[in-house]
Amino acid sequence: MKVVVFSEALQFFKMASALAQSLTEDTVGVFTQKVNFTRKLYLVDKVDEDGLVDFLSSTNFDLLVTGNVRRDRAIASRVAGRLKVGYVPDVTSIKLEGNKVSATRLAYSGIATAEVESSTPLVITVSSFPGEPKEVEAEVVRVELKEGKVRVLEVKRSSGGLSPATAQIVVGVGRGIGSKENVSYAQELASVLGGAVAGTRPVCAELGWLPEDVQVGLSGLRIRPRLYLALGVSGQPQHIAGIRDSKVVVAVNKDENAPIAENADYFVAGDAVEFCKVFTEKILKLKG
Amino acid sequence: MNIVVGFKVVPDESLIRVSEHKLLLDVPLKLNTYDKNAIEEAVSLKERNGGRAMGITVGAGDRKAIREALAMGLDEVIVVKSNDLDVYGTSMAISENVRGLSPDLIIFGEQTVDSGTTGVPGYVAELLGMPFVSNVRSFSLEGKKFVAERGMVSYSEKVEGELPAVISVGGEINTPRIPSVKQIMESSKKPVKEVNFSLETKVKIKDVKPLVVKRKRVVIKEGDMGKAVDKLIELLRSEGLL
Repeated sequence: MKVVVFSEALQFFKMASALAQSLTEDTVGVFTQKVNFTRKLYLVDKVDEDGLVDFLSSTNFDLLVTGNVRRDRAIASRVAGRLKVGYVPDVTSIKLEGNKVSATRLAYSGIATAEVESSTPLVITVSSFPGEPKEVEAEVVRVELKEGKVRVLEVKRSSGGLSPATAQIVVGVGRGIGSKENVSYAQELASVLGGAVAGTRPVCAELGWLPEDVQVGLSGLRIRPRLYLALGVSGQPQHIAGIRDSKVVVAVNKDENAPIAENADYFVAGDAVEFCKVFTEKILKLKG
Repeated sequence: MNIVVGFKVVPDESLIRVSEHKLLLDVPLKLNTYDKNAIEEAVSLKERNGGRAMGITVGAGDRKAIREALAMGLDEVIVVKSNDLDVYGTSMAISENVRGLSPDLIIFGEQTVDSGTTGVPGYVAELLGMPFVSNVRSFSLEGKKFVAERGMVSYSEKVEGELPAVISVGGEINTPRIPSVKQIMESSKKPVKEVNFSLETKVKIKDVKPLVVKRKRVVIKEGDMGKAVDKLIELLRSEGLL
């Protein structure tokens, strides 16, 4: 059983490696940095999507496990298509018996899970997996990827700052905050709490109130803070899918019937901006 | 140019409810959210560059949703009637039925709201041996050359390539048009071709269960925000937070 692991992002490469280690000794990584989580590591010189699809398709895997960022998902589906094998994204647990694979994956925008069965060779993307991978000594092989048919002209990194992906406290903004100007109240609250600001897809991608790199949800970041404060977030299933692993969820919303109420540990009925102002002031007082 | 749009008819996810241990999926069907953006992009490219924009859909052939796709400006729709298919099966159904149309560009929505695999566009591209660009936010065409901007969450990327190609688009690329009454009337005259397809899937679904994360669901309702926040701070402190 040969399991090949790939992700563009270190956090997901580690998660995929932990999953691979739980299944076999024969683990092979494909990554851009030298890391020790697989027995063998193909160290690639760049992230050329076409080149990676070519290379991963040639690794003769029984199971290809990729991370879950957009680049990973595009590559995973293409490798599956190139080899005409099964494809299962968003895996949260997996079992192997011979060449038979049983896995659990998210479905219906994250409000459901599906139990699926398939056989190897198979391509999966991992959505969450408990624990850290063990460190193992990796035999490193350098790989120069081929140039693809699609050429990259320009890459724009999004703004720096504390990322909701790693922050312990995240203040999430939904359409209900009211306006782009009002987002500054959430930013101020996040800053006094030492946390990061995040937003729903409408707020980040459609309205542009926050940059796209802090978009939380099924198609954006999946976060796992100790505390998530959802401000003016209605709680569409796609957003809930991104905050599922938060330890404690607090929601502030005028509408007590908003779906976020069912997905919160503490629900404050009221205006998100007023909440920010009052909470910020009280936290500053507590800090003295 | 020949443009093909792959779209899916899905249960309206905002109406799906959970009862005990079951998902209540008996809800109205609709055109998948981002597939409307795919149709809009195809129709506006056709308006600017000439040619034809055809739709293909696999699975639930809901008449109303197909009419809506035609009313938005597609010239024709192929409905593939099939057994329940996985990403592999759906992609095979699409690739086998579009090959004969010699498409210059195939456009998909980047994610469906039901199975949500995001897998079909890339899979189809590989089956057809065409280049693929996912998560396109803006798309421009000059002759056979295209430039696309991709939103990758933590960064954005501008790429160039040549047709024929497959792309997937999200809600950011455009605002889907709302068809006029006249367009809706006329859509009934446009051709809808039904074909049958069946294939043994590689991935089989055994069970679907609602995913419920248990939350405490404590409601803090005070007339005064100051009091509400005091109460919240006290509760969060008792959990070792703050």
